[in-house]
Amino acid sequence: MSKLFQSFGLSAPLAGFLAAFIASFVLITFMLISAIFAVWLERKVAARIQDRLGPTRVGGKFGWLQTLADGLKLLCKEDLVPKDADHVLFRIGPYIALAGSFLAFIVLPFGSGVVPVDLNIAVFFMLAVMSTEIFGIILGGYGSGSKWAVFGAMREAAQIVSYEVPMAICVLVPVIVAGTMSLSIFGRQQSGVFWNWYVFHDPFTFGAFWTYFACATASCKRAPFDLAEAESELVAGFHTEYSGFRWLIFFMAEYGSMVAVSGIAILLFLGGWHTGLMPKPWAMDLSETFLGGLFGNVINVVVFIMKCYLLVFVMMWVRWTLPRLRIDQVMMTCLKYFLPISCFLLLGVSLWQVGLEPWTPWFKYVMAVTCVGLFIAMVVKIVLTPSTLPVAGLSGMWNAPAPKYDMARKS
Amino acid sequence: MDFQLSTYYPIFLFVILIVGLAVSILIAAHVIGPRRKTPVKEMPYESGMDPIGSAKQRFDIKFYLIAILFLVFDVELLFLYPWAVSGYELFKGEAERLQTPIFWELLVFLVTLAVAYLYAWRRGVFKWR
Repeated sequence: MSKLFQSFGLSAPLAGFLAAFIASFVLITFMLISAIFAVWLERKVAARIQDRLGPTRVGGKFGWLQTLADGLKLLCKEDLVPKDADHVLFRIGPYIALAGSFLAFIVLPFGSGVVPVDLNIAVFFMLAVMSTEIFGIILGGYGSGSKWAVFGAMREAAQIVSYEVPMAICVLVPVIVAGTMSLSIFGRQQSGVFWNWYVFHDPFTFGAFWTYFACATASCKRAPFDLAEAESELVAGFHTEYSGFRWLIFFMAEYGSMVAVSGIAILLFLGGWHTGLMPKPWAMDLSETFLGGLFGNVINVVVFIMKCYLLVFVMMWVRWTLPRLRIDQVMMTCLKYFLPISCFLLLGVSLWQVGLEPWTPWFKYVMAVTCVGLFIAMVVKIVLTPSTLPVAGLSGMWNAPAPKYDMARKS
Repeated sequence: MDFQLSTYYPIFLFVILIVGLAVSILIAAHVIGPRRKTPVKEMPYESGMDPIGSAKQRFDIKFYLIAILFLVFDVELLFLYPWAVSGYELFKGEAERLQTPIFWELLVFLVTLAVAYLYAWRRGVFKWR
């Protein structure tokens, strides 16, 4: 885009600045909309899982504008800073959290070449930047001067610090296979049919994907790992004292980092912006094929965002299905299981690269076909299973016939 | 690719824009929202009770143990990232791949780490007391 502005006769620094400004603007708009959408989706998914309807009033039948209405309401709320709080820490906490979570997106390629800043160490940059979000949370929690907030912040610190390590080791596994840390090159390497995706490359990348996803769920402090804001134990955890829009900023940061870790997972393991349906010699890349650059890029971006939201949906699904773990369980799951498992996966994938690489072709076909087959079977089963209706006559059911009591004998 | 600071200029601009957005929204909230302070409202929340003592207490020692463990493994990771990128590029196409020193190097490194890990486990670092 910088070149486009230079062709209008602008000087190189000014053109670069304009391009960066526009890219930032588009990205921020996307992230705000996606945060709003993710909150709405979360409420709908939660409602469906709990057999409710969720938002139905604001903005049409599906409650599309519910989140926007909530945001406006929060904007009109009093912005409170408690007297015991450390005012500086309390105020800068949300900024750091938001910047850390949103900044990760600037190196995330949404399509072939559709990336604001194409860093050659993009993976490393994203992991590093996303872990700065924790500073905001610790500062906010510690600065609140409330015991609930301090407990929440400490738990959060211990949890994220531990889960960083297996997550980063699992990211190393596809990095070894690909031999690069640039996310755009990652995307380009996985073009073609879905068995070229790195999740099916060998057994170790397959294991790394699941381990990564579990650790990423934990590092986004999503249930079942949401100890930092465990509502039933810590009131609201680290954001107990936050109100109004300051609280909403923490919330946006959380949803932003959810989309960001899903984006990394998509690019590293699940084929990036590729649909996974085009054979390799036929179309190297959608943006270079039949309908020219623009249309192909639009399709790539749409595919990428849809894949991201699929993973975000899985995170929500997990959140509303599983109960919360205890803090010792969370920490020990990481230190005793995820850490050795990820080290083992690292060792295994280096062994595979060194000696067993000739096995890759047949393994990836078998693995990919099996997995996709299982996935399709699951979807078919879900679709074909009749939705549960209350069964009359089953004891304990709400419209079961009332049991007949022998009133005479009881009295 | 060599390092150029100009690659990172858009990132700095982006940080400024994000923080600017947050600040401007908060200023708007400050202007729109009401400000009626009462002593009770400014109290730290402690489930409706008057707060007992200060919240700025000492942390449990187990959190420090976690932090030290994190340091060990994080330094390990810093070493592994450049190794992972360049390690297997150098030896692509060689016949005797298992002989590559780079793999044995990793093995030695991980075994050293595993010894430390097992030591920590035996000493009871992984017990949450």
